[in-house]
Amino acid sequence: MILVNTETIPGMRIVELKGIVQGNTVRAKHLGRDIAASFKNIVGGELKGYTELLTEARREALERMLAQAEQLGANAVLNLRFSTSAVTQGAAELYAYGTAAVVEPE
Amino acid sequence: MEGVIVLLVQLSVPVLLLLIGLVVGTTTERLHLASREREFAGMSVTDIRTFGPGADPSKHAALVSGEAVIATDYLKSFLAGFRKILGGELRSYRSLMGRARREALMRLLAEARRKGFNAVCNVRYETADIGGFTGKRGAVMVECFAYGTAYRLETRDSQ
Repeated sequence: MILVNTETIPGMRIVELKGIVQGNTVRAKHLGRDIAASFKNIVGGELKGYTELLTEARREALERMLAQAEQLGANAVLNLRFSTSAVTQGAAELYAYGTAAVVEPE
Repeated sequence: MEGVIVLLVQLSVPVLLLLIGLVVGTTTERLHLASREREFAGMSVTDIRTFGPGADPSKHAALVSGEAVIATDYLKSFLAGFRKILGGELRSYRSLMGRARREALMRLLAEARRKGFNAVCNVRYETADIGGFTGKRGAVMVECFAYGTAYRLETRDSQ
């Protein structure tokens, strides 16, 4: 599966477009990480726990999108976009969408 | 007399926190990025939607991404609190946002290089809110996510 956020792939030709595929997940942070974060607020710096949390969540959204693309028989997803929205306090929705396509070498 | 001591003790905690924030915050900020940014100086990075001239078709393009969540220090949020009364630019938070973006981009470039690419196009930035801004007593932090398409650019000597 080729994943790009551009409309074309160098050396590849689009044979068939399969339509939009999407995947999402809603994640909440947990209390332990909050306590660590409040300490971090004194000295500043990276909150590794939150970085991991978001990376993990985004991977999950992406995997759900890929599952959809596979079901449609696509071998590439073009023009991929990520988006987030705040659902409720302390939780966020991560959303990935793109156009599934069948591509072949030129 | 006792009242003075109590007042001093009560005052010393925020003053100590401010000092810690000043010292640790500024040093980590300085050490953070400058050296690593130079490392990726040779890579072509654009936010244009198309590939640069000379894209190598033999290696498939791939999605790369980088993410960073960075908290502010006590001094910065203290200064920003003052600034919020007067209005105007929150300079201490501006550098925080900038740092999160730069860090995210660094990680994106590191991933691209690890996968054997030397150029990235269509870089997009995105922020996620997991309660940093909305939570009243939560940590002041910024989340930044960068993603783009990595590809191989033919260098002059390989042409």
